[in-house]
Amino acid sequence: MPRPRQPPLRLVRLEAAIVAGVLSSLRYLLADFIGDDDDAPPFLPDGLPDGAAPVVSEGIHRLIEYQGPSYAKLYVGRLRRFVGRRGVDDAMLVEIAQLMAMRMSYEDPIRIAQLKFAELEMAPGGPHVQHADNVCKFRLDELTGALPAVIAEPILDALEWVGWVHKPISIRFSTKSRWGIRRLKIEASLRRWRLFSVRYAKERVWVEHWLHMIDRSLTKQPKAASAIVQTATMVQGYGDAYRQGLADWHAIIDGLAKPAFDGVLPLPDLAAAVAEARAAVTPDPQQAALKRTIAEIRARVQFESQQPVVPAKAGTHNL
Amino acid sequence: MDTSHLAEHAGAASSFFASIFVVATLSMRTMIPLRVFGILTNIILIASAIPTHNYATLLLHTVLLPLNAYRLHQMLQLVRDVKKSVNSDLSMEWLKPFMTERKCAAGEMLFYKDEKADSMFYIVSGRFKLVESGIELPVGAIVGELGMLSPSNIRTQTLECIEAGMILSVSYTQVEELYVQNPAFGFYFLRLASARLFQNIETLEQRLAQYAAPAPASAASGPA
Repeated sequence: MPRPRQPPLRLVRLEAAIVAGVLSSLRYLLADFIGDDDDAPPFLPDGLPDGAAPVVSEGIHRLIEYQGPSYAKLYVGRLRRFVGRRGVDDAMLVEIAQLMAMRMSYEDPIRIAQLKFAELEMAPGGPHVQHADNVCKFRLDELTGALPAVIAEPILDALEWVGWVHKPISIRFSTKSRWGIRRLKIEASLRRWRLFSVRYAKERVWVEHWLHMIDRSLTKQPKAASAIVQTATMVQGYGDAYRQGLADWHAIIDGLAKPAFDGVLPLPDLAAAVAEARAAVTPDPQQAALKRTIAEIRARVQFESQQPVVPAKAGTHNL
Repeated sequence: MDTSHLAEHAGAASSFFASIFVVATLSMRTMIPLRVFGILTNIILIASAIPTHNYATLLLHTVLLPLNAYRLHQMLQLVRDVKKSVNSDLSMEWLKPFMTERKCAAGEMLFYKDEKADSMFYIVSGRFKLVESGIELPVGAIVGELGMLSPSNIRTQTLECIEAGMILSVSYTQVEELYVQNPAFGFYFLRLASARLFQNIETLEQRLAQYAAPAPASAASGPA
């Protein structure tokens, strides 16, 4: 019986190359839609102090797991602005790296689903161990904001029209049933479109605003730079706590830091003023205590700056 | 005399003729020839649809014909305007039809220093300031046009709105699309960007000369 004729190896290779080329073109064409991120993980920035390397490396791994290698590259690019910069010591760089990784991995419903699913997979007793459910309270605009802008914007418009934008919604993240796990997987898979979401656009602006304030502080008031870096800890979590933290942060930055950098507010010790204002932060949506404290600080420094400067007595500083 | 069979033959012949144009249209690599062939195809398909009473095709291509013509007109006008700009005031006003309006409130930051640039802006009204240098930009200024061609794509200053106003914005992706679709536009855009860059270098050289000029004078007057 004659053996079936095999196609020549060269022809097989050519076919494989054509198929690979076509698939690659299709992946490129649909990259935005399928959320493909086949970038290589980023390297640590040049000139990074040895003490900061483990923290930055951890940040990179966290953001690759959170979103992907391209997102981790953005983190490294942002961090590079401060490596070797005058006024930024190793401790401050570590703090910026830590807080930036934290803020760049903000807690949206997708992140909570990712964490819950990871908890299931990493459980010491195996994936069959029962875990407690997480019930998280989001606002409707927060939930919708996690979707791509093209879908979210009309929904947000409709919610605003109905008056439900701030309506609280409780979401259960459960691994107790197969349906719960399936739902977690679906929610976590939405990460591929996270960078197109309404929420991401806002978070991107927030991180840049915070970095910009650090940059201006290093130029205008280097002593206050550390206090400005630490303000990022004010914005954490999700739901009402997140909104409150964000509003408090804006109140302090817009009321004290920015006017001081612009030269409108003669605030010689910005770090102390920020600390005083932060001490007045309470979980009050009206921000009454915080606004009062900021107004007091502003009035005080304006008053002090209008006082005539009394020359110091000779030799007083030596006493 | 029954002429229906003649109309049928004419319809079949024109359909075959139109198919050739459809293939030719789809094989075009750039936008202007594609639109021209698209218009020719529309005309032939309209002509072939009349004798065969194919009203669906007739309606479709009657809609597509003005659409193709309008897009072709837009492309040709764009090339003409960029070419004109290269030879005159180097303005970027030709980009305005492709830009989207955006209102800005006082205190709003349009972009931050060291951020990756992804769009350019045209100031229509209001007051805008470059934070780091303190320079206020006039109405009609274009911001961020060179960022598109720079390898790092990094913003060198922060732009803040200090008095509410209106801006027009266009993303680099949109300009890249125009560039890729239309080689003539791409060529003139490059010439325009280079001319603006050389203009900036010239301004800097003049400023440098101004700074350098008083130094010998003051040195000379010092001993006197």
